[in-house]
Amino acid sequence: MSPAGASAPPAPAALRAIHITKRFGGLDAVKDVSIDVPQYGIVSLIGPNGAGKTTLFNMLTGLSRPTQGSILFGERDITRARADVITGYGVARTFQNIRLFGAMTAVENVMIGHHARMRAGLFGSIVKPPRVRREERETRGRAGELLAYVGLREAVFGRLASQLSYGDQRRVEIARALASEPAVLLLDEPTAGMNPHETQALTEFIRKLRDELRLTILLIEHDMKVVMGVSERVTVLDYGEKIAEGDPDEVRADPRVIEAYLGRQE
Amino acid sequence: MPAAPLRPLLAIRRYAGRWGLIAALAALPVYYGIHDLTYGYQAGYVAGHVVIHHDLSMLGYDLAQGLSNGAIWALIAIGYTLVYGIIELINFAHGDVFMIGSFTAVGLWGPFGLGLTIGALGLTFGLLATLVITMIVTGALNVLIERVAYRPLRNAPKLAALITAVGFSFILQNVGLLWRGGTPQSVPDLIHVQQTVFTIAGVPIQRGYILAFAVMIPLVFALGWFIGRTRAGRAMRATAQDPEAARLMGINVDATISLTFLLGGMLAGAAGLVYALYETNVWFFQGFKAGLIAFTAAVMGGIGNVRGAVLGGLIIGVIQALADSRMGPQWTEAVVFGYLIAIMVLRPRGLLGEETREAG
Amino acid sequence: MNELRLQLREWRDAVRKRLPPWWNRGLAGAFILIGIVLPFFFPPNSGFMNATIIAVAYAVMALGLNVVVGFAGLLDLGYVAFYALGAYSLGWFGSGFLFKAHIHVLVSPVAGTLPGVHLNFILILIGAALICAAAGVVIGLPTLRLRGDYIAIVTLAFGEIIATLAVNGQSIHIGGGMTLTAGNLGISAVDTPYFPGIGSFNLLNLRPWYWLIFAILLVVLFVNLRLRDSRLGRAWIALREDEVAAVSMGIPLVKTKLVAYAIGAAFGGMSGAFFGTYYTEVNAAQFQFGFSIFILAMVIIGGIGSIWGAVVGGLALGYINNYLIPDVLNDLPSKFGLNFQLTQVEFGIFGFLLVIVMVLRPQGLIPERRRRLELTAEIAAEDAQLAEAPGTAGGAT
Repeated sequence: MSPAGASAPPAPAALRAIHITKRFGGLDAVKDVSIDVPQYGIVSLIGPNGAGKTTLFNMLTGLSRPTQGSILFGERDITRARADVITGYGVARTFQNIRLFGAMTAVENVMIGHHARMRAGLFGSIVKPPRVRREERETRGRAGELLAYVGLREAVFGRLASQLSYGDQRRVEIARALASEPAVLLLDEPTAGMNPHETQALTEFIRKLRDELRLTILLIEHDMKVVMGVSERVTVLDYGEKIAEGDPDEVRADPRVIEAYLGRQE
Repeated sequence: MPAAPLRPLLAIRRYAGRWGLIAALAALPVYYGIHDLTYGYQAGYVAGHVVIHHDLSMLGYDLAQGLSNGAIWALIAIGYTLVYGIIELINFAHGDVFMIGSFTAVGLWGPFGLGLTIGALGLTFGLLATLVITMIVTGALNVLIERVAYRPLRNAPKLAALITAVGFSFILQNVGLLWRGGTPQSVPDLIHVQQTVFTIAGVPIQRGYILAFAVMIPLVFALGWFIGRTRAGRAMRATAQDPEAARLMGINVDATISLTFLLGGMLAGAAGLVYALYETNVWFFQGFKAGLIAFTAAVMGGIGNVRGAVLGGLIIGVIQALADSRMGPQWTEAVVFGYLIAIMVLRPRGLLGEETREAG
Repeated sequence: MNELRLQLREWRDAVRKRLPPWWNRGLAGAFILIGIVLPFFFPPNSGFMNATIIAVAYAVMALGLNVVVGFAGLLDLGYVAFYALGAYSLGWFGSGFLFKAHIHVLVSPVAGTLPGVHLNFILILIGAALICAAAGVVIGLPTLRLRGDYIAIVTLAFGEIIATLAVNGQSIHIGGGMTLTAGNLGISAVDTPYFPGIGSFNLLNLRPWYWLIFAILLVVLFVNLRLRDSRLGRAWIALREDEVAAVSMGIPLVKTKLVAYAIGAAFGGMSGAFFGTYYTEVNAAQFQFGFSIFILAMVIIGGIGSIWGAVVGGLALGYINNYLIPDVLNDLPSKFGLNFQLTQVEFGIFGFLLVIVMVLRPQGLIPERRRRLELTAEIAAEDAQLAEAPGTAGGAT
C-alpha cells in the first residue's frame, strides 16, 4: 500500500498548520497555532480538555475553516478544501467519539473508507460491468485484510457496527481510516476508554502502522504513557494556544506544561 | 485580547443578509407604490370612463388589509415559533389546530345565540365567551397532540416526530372535513366586518382590521409579560436555551414543554375566532394554507423569536395582500412560498433570529 | 413483554438459519412469475386489474421516494412535483396539446396524423425521467445544506409552487397560442401507448397496461437493488447515518445527494407519465399536497429505506385506496350507524396509520435489510446486548 501523493516531491513536513486561528463569535478556540508534522513522524498533540485540539483536527481535515492562517499538505494548500477532497488527497482520521455507521457491517464500514479510491459511478453501479465487479470484489477483499490487520476476529466481520464491542469498534474505525490509503493519519484520542493492556497494544500498533505502512501520524492523546511511549515530538495546547513543543522529555519537564495540567481540574 | 480585524467578506455577508432580506421584502410594496404613482391604478368607473388615480391610496388599502391579515398570521406564527424554539420541531399540525379553533368558535355561536340580530352588548360578551372557550379547547388540543405524538418520540430522530405531526395534521383535516364538509362554508358576518369605522389618509379602516389588532395586541402583550415576568415563563426561556441545563436546575422540562404547546394552541384558537369573523367563512383546508403562511412568517421573523413571529406575520400579510390584489389570488401562494424558499436557503435565521443552537 | 419479543426473535432466527441459500432469490422469482401470469386469472377489464395497475404504479412512485427519503435521508414532502412533471411530460409529448408542432416518432398510424408532439411512450418515459431528474437537482440543490425539518418545508413549498404552476399554466402562454398547461380543465385525449406489432392500448383490455407498468416496476426494482449494494448505495447510507463521518471518509456530499434526488425524481416521473396515459388526461386537480403524503405513507409504512418495503407499502396502500376503501368497505361506517362514507375519511385513515406506525413500529412492515434505522436506536441497543452471545450471525445477505 503506497501513501497517496507519493508522486509529489518529498517535503520536510507532510502536514503543516501555519498561524491557525479559529474564532467563534467572541471566543478564540484556537489562537495562532503552528504545527509541523514531519513525514513519517509520530507527533502527539496534548493539552487539557477544551484546549482546542479537536478543533484543530477539524480544521486540518476540512470539517471547519480557520478564521486565519493556512494549512499545507505537502506542497498543497488545503486551507479551504472540502473534507472529502482532503481525504482524497491522503489525510484520514478517526473520531474521539467513535463515529461508525451503525447500520452497516464492519466490512461495509471499511469499504466506505475506500470510497474516494473507487471509481464506480452511477451507471457503473447499475450496470455492473466486469470492471466494477472486480472493483467491488477487491474492495471487499481489501476491507477484510484491513480488519484482520487491525486485529478484528473474522467471526464479527459481518456484524453490524453498532453490535460490536467498544474495543472492536475502535479497531474498525482505524481500519476504515486506513482504507482510504492515506499518507497522513490523524487519531483523535485512540486509547480513550481502554484498559492498560489494550492501551499498550495500541501504542505498539501505532508504531507498526508508521513503520509498515509508511504513514505520518498525528494523534491527540490524554494518556501520558502513550504520549511518552510512542511520540517523537509533542505539541502542547492550552486555551487554544501552543505553549510548548519538543521531544517528549523536554515537554514533560516544561514548567508551563506542568502548570497547565496541575492548575486545572480534569 | 486585541480583536483581529474581521474579514471584510464575513462582515459584508452579515449585513447583506439582513438588509438583503429587508430589501427583498420591501421590493413588492416599493415597486407597486412607484407603479401606482407613475402609471396610476383603476379606481372605478364614472360615467362609463375608467378613473385613474395617481396616488398611494390603493397601496394604503393593500397595506391596511395586509397588516390585518398579518395580525392573524402573527398569532398562529407565535405558536410555531414557541414550539420550535423549545423542542426544535415544526409542529406540522399547528395550522390545523387553528382550523379546529375556527370551527369550534363558529360552532359556539349557535348555542350562545350569536346571530345577526343580537345587540352589541350581547355580541361582545358572547364573543368574549367564545374566545375563552375556543382558546381552552385549542390549547388542550395542542397539549394532547404533544402528549400523544411528540413526547413518545422525543428521543427518536426528528424525522419520526415530523412524520407523526404530518399524520396528525391529516387526521385533524379529516375531522374538519367531516364536521363541515369539503367546501368553504360561509358564516354569519357577526360584526359587519367590512364596515368602515374611519379613514386614515384616504384609506378606509374597516371593523375587521380593528378586530384583528384588538385581539392580537393584548394577547401578544400578555404572552410577552408571561414569558418575561413569571416563573413559568422563565422556565420556558431556560428550556429553550438549554434543556439539559434547565433540567439540572430543577425545571420540570416536560411540564414546560406542555405549557408551551398550550400557549401556542391558545393563540391559534384566538386566531381561529378572528379568522371566522374576518373572512366570514370557514373551510377544513384553511389550516393547511394558513399553517404554511404562518410558518413562513415565523421563519422570516426568526424562528424561536416571538417578536420575530409577530413582525414576520405582519410582513407576510402585506405581501399576501399585495399579491392578491395586484397579481391575482391564484399566484399568491407561489409568491409566499417563493419567499419561504428564498429565506430558508439564503437566510434561515430570518430577520431577528440568532444563529441556531447547532452553530459553531 | 420483552420475554415474548426475545422468544419471537429466537424463533425467527432459527427459521432463518434453516432456509436454503436460494430462498431470497426464490421468493423474488416467485414474485415475478406471479406478477406476469396474474392478468390471466381475471377478465381483461376487471375492476381488480384496474386497482392492481394503479397499485403497481404507486409502488414505482414509492420506490422513487424511497431513494430520496430512505436512502439519502432527505424528507421530501413535495414529491407530487415529480408526479406532475412526469404526467405533463406525457401531456406535452404525447398528445395534441402543443398543437403548433408536428412531431411524430414511432406512434400509431392514427396518432401520426394528428397535430402536436407524439412520441412513442418509451421515449416519453425516458423524457419524463430526464426532466424529473433535472427538476430533482434544481429542487435538491438549495436544500442540501439545510436541516431535516427545513428540508421538509422547502420541498413542500416547491411542490406547492409546481402545483400552482400546473393550475395557472393555462394562462401562461408559450408562443403560437399554446399554453403551458391546461390547468383544471386538463389535457385530455392523450395518446395511449403504442408498440409496432402490438398496436395501441385501449381501456377495454387492461392486460397490456398491466404488463407495461409491471415491466416498469421490474426495471425500477432492478436499478434499486443494484444501487443499494454498490459504492453509491453505501455512500447514501453513510451520509444518512452520519454526514460528518461520511464526508470525512471522502464522500462528496453535494454530488452524492443530488444523484439520489435525481434518481428518486426520475422514478416518480416515469410513474407519473404512466398515470398520465392510463388516466387519459393530465389535470391540475390531480396534483395536490395530499398525494405527497400518500406516497410518503407508503414508504414509511412499508419500511423506510427498504426496497421491498416500498413495493409492499405501495401495493398495500394502493389497493386500500383504490379498491378496499371505495369498492369494498365504503359503507362500513353506515353499518355502524354513522352517516359518512369511508372514502371521505381516507386522509384521516392515512394520517392515523402514519402516527400509529411511527409510534409503534417505526421501522415499518419490512424493515430495511440492515435492520437498524434512523428511527430505532433502542432496537439496535437491544441487539447489541443480544449479540454478546457468541455465534449470533449478524445481518444475512
